[in-house]
Amino acid sequence: MIWQQIVNGISVGSIYALMATGYALIYSLLGFSNWAHGDIAMVGAYIGFFSVATMHLPWWASLILALLGAGLLSLLSERLAYRRIRQNNSPTMFLMIAAMGLSVALQNFVLVTVGSKFKTYPQILAVKAIQIGDTYIGLIDLISLCITIVVIGILFYLIEKTKFGLAVKSAATNMQVASLLGINVDKYISLVFLLAGSLAGLSGVFLGMKYTVYPQLGNFALKAFIASVFGGLGSVPGAIVGALFIGLMEVFVAGYISSGLRDFFTFALLIGVLVIRPTGLFGKDIQDKA
Amino acid sequence: MKKSKIVVVVMLVVLLASMMSACGQKAADDTIKIGYIGALSGDTAVWGQAGLNGMLLTAKEINEAGGILGKQVEVIGLDGRGDPTDSVNAFRRLVTEEKVIAVIGTNFSSCNIAMAPIADELKVPLIATAASNPKVTVDENGVLHPYSFRIGFIDPFQGQVLANLASNELKAKTAGIIYDIGSDYSTGLSQYFEDQFVKNGGTVVVKVEAHSGDNDFRAQLSKIAEAKPDVLLVPWIYKDVALIANQARELGITVPLLGGDGWDSPELITMAGPAIEGSYYTSQPSFANPITKPYYDAYMKEYDGLVPETEALFGHDGLYWIKDALERAGEATPAALRDALENTTQFDGLMGSMSIDPATHNPAKPASVYTFTNGERVWYGDFK
Repeated sequence: MIWQQIVNGISVGSIYALMATGYALIYSLLGFSNWAHGDIAMVGAYIGFFSVATMHLPWWASLILALLGAGLLSLLSERLAYRRIRQNNSPTMFLMIAAMGLSVALQNFVLVTVGSKFKTYPQILAVKAIQIGDTYIGLIDLISLCITIVVIGILFYLIEKTKFGLAVKSAATNMQVASLLGINVDKYISLVFLLAGSLAGLSGVFLGMKYTVYPQLGNFALKAFIASVFGGLGSVPGAIVGALFIGLMEVFVAGYISSGLRDFFTFALLIGVLVIRPTGLFGKDIQDKA
Repeated sequence: MKKSKIVVVVMLVVLLASMMSACGQKAADDTIKIGYIGALSGDTAVWGQAGLNGMLLTAKEINEAGGILGKQVEVIGLDGRGDPTDSVNAFRRLVTEEKVIAVIGTNFSSCNIAMAPIADELKVPLIATAASNPKVTVDENGVLHPYSFRIGFIDPFQGQVLANLASNELKAKTAGIIYDIGSDYSTGLSQYFEDQFVKNGGTVVVKVEAHSGDNDFRAQLSKIAEAKPDVLLVPWIYKDVALIANQARELGITVPLLGGDGWDSPELITMAGPAIEGSYYTSQPSFANPITKPYYDAYMKEYDGLVPETEALFGHDGLYWIKDALERAGEATPAALRDALENTTQFDGLMGSMSIDPATHNPAKPASVYTFTNGERVWYGDFK
């Protein structure tokens, strides 16, 4: 059973990871937690659902559409809400409040337009599992894990090896200096939102395929947020390690201790991290950024 | 200044409201008002809306046939959102403002357990639909709530039917249970199943808990897969059942799943697909019975092809039961209605024939068992 639980944990953790990296990217630049991130993933899940169920597109096409759609929505949210707040030199808190507002607005928009009913993706990928000994690995899990690894690989390449990554890193270190050195900070912030939104959209489609689609789907992101705090706010590698850790911890608590206590453990971990090591596993000094 | 503005607004509202009700219906004395409470919005609105639709349609039918005791019936539906506090507020409003003489609803035990003392306080009969926890009609100490009734059967009965089905029909020796730790319905049904299953000589080899809204149940299901039970009890609501069924099949659990009336929705087949094949659930007698056909057709016609949920039948039977009781009582007052409901010895509705136990207000009536073959829900039989 232990191998099965590890498979289960990685499957959950990899989706947390896609979301958590988005939190980390935005936090590293703007120093706030984008509470609407989960709801952008939810919109991505709906875009994926409608492109498969109504437009009858193949699953990979729906994945791309959801990725683009959620990315554009994220970009748009930055342009419409966050950019003005930044330019007004308002406290970071304002960004967070705007994000909360956006989160509620998106949920209600979907409630009103699509409705509250639970939607299931048509079974484009059959509920099949590969059996290795006593361990079953779901086909959807396998595909989503592979795509996640590729996407996170691309993300690392972008951050570590390209001019884009250099610009984002310098803006994250000091926005004013970066701007003085001729980096168009606004452009890079937009690109980061586009990137984070696309990752969220992708995780939304995976969530939808594995489970169901409903307006409150984005609440799932809370766990990813905890993962990014645990890994160190603003650190992309930290977010990934944190996400896998939380995914594994959750299945082990549910499988071996008590599923009633699962969330208790997760939130206790959050409080523990904030008290003992506020910078998380890989975080830099967050006091400077706040 | 402010106060006077408010007064003007309130007066306007009252004026408008009275004008609207005046043109809608004849004077209050000529109508019998019956309330309905259900979740008209949110996750479970499919049931609440079906219940209200069913009652409105039935009221129309009764009115066309001359009404009750020569009076017209008016149905007023309020949203309880499936929430105990909202349901209590809706009940108070129906009684104090709308002056209903009885309320039908809800299908949630948690809501009716909260409303039952209020019904006693306001002395207006409350008829639960599918709410199946024993505490809907009797309090913690087993004392009867005189104004609480129900049309559906209770959880212990459902648990017994499921356990007997597992032991006698499916020849199961061992059972696994995955239940919702946050729901009275799920924990109760699991317990009643377990009691009867053990009495039948079976063993519950694995029992795990989870939360509705978790979405991922694989950690718990892996534990069940390891214990290899003959059947798996899944006393959840259909959306979770669909997730659990798919994830169980993915983890190599192929045994039949068993469940209660929370499974009862056409959505289940769409959501769970082949994963639900060969599973069984008990429910209130439903549209599977041919005598419901004319009502089913009328409903489809009235609501533009909308497929009715079983809750619509509760709305139908509830209203006809009130009609039956009022005609026996001979007067349309809440107190007379209460006495007549309590003394029901035979009422034949679309959901079967029922009598009421005056000591518990629980009806004696059969439960239907359904199974799934080739992507269709099939009626397996009625069990008492």
